[in-house]
Amino acid sequence: MSKGLPTSPYCTIGPFFPGQFVEGCEDLTRFEGKTACGEHILLAGRVVEEGNLPTLNVILEIWQADANGVFRHPLDPRSGAADPGFFGWGRARTNADGRYRFRTVVPGSYRTEEGAHRCPHVNLMVLAIGLTRRLVTTVFFGDAPDNVRDPVLDCVTDRAARRRLFAVRDPALDAEGLPGYRFDIVLRGENETPFFVD
Amino acid sequence: MPQDLLGLTGVKYSPYEESTQLARYIQHYPRSFTRNPSQPLIQRPLTLSELTGPTGLDRRLNAGDGDDLSRRTPDGPRAIGQFISVSGRVVDQDGAPVAGAVIELWQANSAGKYIHELDRHEAPLDPNFTGQGRLITDADGEYRFRSIKPGAYPVMESEWWWRPPHIHFSIFGPSWMNRYVTQIFFPGEPLNETDLLLNAVQDPEARDRLIFRTTPTTVGKVNLLHFKLDFVLRGKHQTPALD
Repeated sequence: MSKGLPTSPYCTIGPFFPGQFVEGCEDLTRFEGKTACGEHILLAGRVVEEGNLPTLNVILEIWQADANGVFRHPLDPRSGAADPGFFGWGRARTNADGRYRFRTVVPGSYRTEEGAHRCPHVNLMVLAIGLTRRLVTTVFFGDAPDNVRDPVLDCVTDRAARRRLFAVRDPALDAEGLPGYRFDIVLRGENETPFFVD
Repeated sequence: MPQDLLGLTGVKYSPYEESTQLARYIQHYPRSFTRNPSQPLIQRPLTLSELTGPTGLDRRLNAGDGDDLSRRTPDGPRAIGQFISVSGRVVDQDGAPVAGAVIELWQANSAGKYIHELDRHEAPLDPNFTGQGRLITDADGEYRFRSIKPGAYPVMESEWWWRPPHIHFSIFGPSWMNRYVTQIFFPGEPLNETDLLLNAVQDPEARDRLIFRTTPTTVGKVNLLHFKLDFVLRGKHQTPALD
């Protein structure tokens, strides 16, 4: 079997990604003038590097299912029923304290073709100076991380590392009448966030 | 309604091959050793969630009206510097066109200055230069835009490193697995020889995939220099055997 053409090399996003490419992309709860179904939340936190130092100007992108677990994409057999008020993609940038914030909905769960249950989760990627390629991880929801069974989460065998993949309800992040969920990202160092092969 | 408009059923995404990519760790490159995870990356299966991704992104972002970075209005004055056009195709690893892909691009002006609050390099902004654009590939996966050749600039955290002229590209393929970001360089630039990023690609053939090709230019009223580059996004079909 041919491996096909070699892929173009990835390179860092660098320090000068235009601010206009980020503006408005932090809010996933509206699309084409309609409001997304489901529970609206703030998904927020800090991105730090080695030494627990805040990172300024890190670009985060997310991709997720709507509140019913449907992806707005032709591969999803249920895409015809995708929430008309939800697109599923967002982008944010960290400030000088390393803080970012998305406004989104709690994603629904769904069953894979093989019958496995995918728990509510958000795909997240990190682009920044110092990273020649993106880093990818997954944000999970739920009050009892140790009891959650998910084919991607279950690849993380270290119990403490698994827990780091969960967004935690944090009233200190509540704003604009929405509940805050904290997901801190440690790129490198103590309590490092698990990242997946890309 | 056809469920697989993009022909995505059966597409495979293999992990990026190190020989085709920049090294993760680069000596003297700021943040390289403080931001890359110390723990091994974890293998995971790819399910619908990872195989889907933002398609039709032009419905969410303004795209397709940023194909001339060299001026702010169609009849407005042109920014200073070498006027260039850039074109090429976005294809997958089978060579099939990736149609409808949103491309974001951004670059310095001819003096090596970005329109960005974090660019504190002492060089002038050009009031006529937009510095950024969004495009959508056509049915053949083709893109094209006009701009001004970017200037070189010094890296603020370094005492010797100058970035050679380059243009940043961010491409949304049809899957989360081929979301792609890179920088493309110009051929024959002396600073290419010392650039930490370009030279982080070990394989010379792979490095060449980050360098525009010059193409024959027609002499006319407009002094326009042409450059070409094709992008190969990750993702291939398992080609059925032919009888």
